Amino acid sequence: MTFEPIWGAIIAWYLFLAGLGGGAFVTAALVRWKYPQAAGIRRIGHIIAPLAVVVGLLLLMIDAKAGLHNPLRFVFLLSNFGSVMTWGVVFLGAFTLLSVATAALEFMHRPVPWWLEVAGSVLAVCVAAYTGALLGVCKTFPLWNTAILPVLFLASAMSTGAASVFLAALLRCRNEFHQITAALKLHLVFPVVETVLVVALLFVTQYNSVAGLESVASLVAGSWAPLFWVGFAVIGLCGPLAMEVWLLFFAPEPFERGSRGRLVSAVANAGVLVGGFLLRFLIVVAALPLVVVMPLF
Amino acid sequence: MLIDTTACVGCYACRTACQCQNGLLPDEAFIRFEQRERGVFPAVAVESVPLQCMHCDDAPCAAVCPTGAAYMGADGIVAVDQGRCIGCLYCMAACPYQVRARNSETGSVDKCRFCEVSNYVAGMNKTTCVSACPTKARVFGDLDDPNCELVRAIVEKGAQPISGTLTQAKVFYVR
Repeated sequence: MTFEPIWGAIIAWYLFLAGLGGGAFVTAALVRWKYPQAAGIRRIGHIIAPLAVVVGLLLLMIDAKAGLHNPLRFVFLLSNFGSVMTWGVVFLGAFTLLSVATAALEFMHRPVPWWLEVAGSVLAVCVAAYTGALLGVCKTFPLWNTAILPVLFLASAMSTGAASVFLAALLRCRNEFHQITAALKLHLVFPVVETVLVVALLFVTQYNSVAGLESVASLVAGSWAPLFWVGFAVIGLCGPLAMEVWLLFFAPEPFERGSRGRLVSAVANAGVLVGGFLLRFLIVVAALPLVVVMPLF
Repeated sequence: MLIDTTACVGCYACRTACQCQNGLLPDEAFIRFEQRERGVFPAVAVESVPLQCMHCDDAPCAAVCPTGAAYMGADGIVAVDQGRCIGCLYCMAACPYQVRARNSETGSVDKCRFCEVSNYVAGMNKTTCVSACPTKARVFGDLDDPNCELVRAIVEKGAQPISGTLTQAKVFYVR
């Protein structure tokens, strides 16, 4: 039986951008805490966060066609607090408000109060984890229906958020970029954690049901395999990790601080973004529904 | 409702009748079919299993619907309030039977209504999928009435929901 995925690229972009926005906000908060002098990078994080989340929200509304045609129906979104999506609307709404307020303060060159940054970071984590829980509660799809998914999406969100900030910092504030090496090294944790989580997800899912096995098979050896191995595993995960490890621990200092070093870093961070999107996209489209009609013998 | 797959010939008459009665778009159907091989060679056959909204007591679509558009009606029939649906498709992802359909014009989601609306409007006393079936594979009735044809047929034929106790479905199958 061929199965047409219910959600497609638009929802994958939304899941990616919501996570990225949350990750960028948390990155900005950590940069401010650890490197108070790196104001340019902090500003970048505070500006990327609302941009990414708002673009993601617009995509979400475009995908919800019946709501797009009758925008007043979006008011009903707060009517079922048993639904993860309703909680997502609460988290996204609150995070959008706080991140827009933070960006506005940055534009006015006014100090961002610490409590705003803490509250925004908590909501950022909620937004990033909720994107995983949204899929995770669907019992119909074994590839989604695991408690790992919110953690995986959270790790990927922090990784892509930080990568987007680093990428913009490479273009806009190079001097500051070379001061935040501890943050760059901390960023290396994420691809490692993501690899462990993805392997665990695939390994457990392929055991739990026929649909789980077929979903995993389509990723690692089926129609999605080229995108999974080349796009996600190599370009999005292992490649950036290898490049960053080499650059931060093995490359000679002049190279690391030179234009070619910056190019390597930029390519690695762009790869992280590609990997973050492909992770969402592949998990959304490769999931197959449970077999409810059991064959009779 | 009861569906006897041993009688079903897979002619799709029920699906077409349903589309006509409910005025569905050509690409929108409330009944979908799965084909399963059964038996051991050489005594093999293909079983056609019509699937539609099971009107689950424990309805996952109503549980995940963020706007309250999908809900359980007082009569035990799961319904969709078209005026509240935003078309997020979360219910389609949550439905284990994958029997919800998106209206490609309005973007909202719909599914088998057990013809409660058209019953009142057209004065028909049966859902047309039942009356259209040439092999009488379908029986419709009130599960709360122990003497009705439906409940007697379920007991007599030992009909079961398609997937055990999953979601407490109200459509029973003979296989």
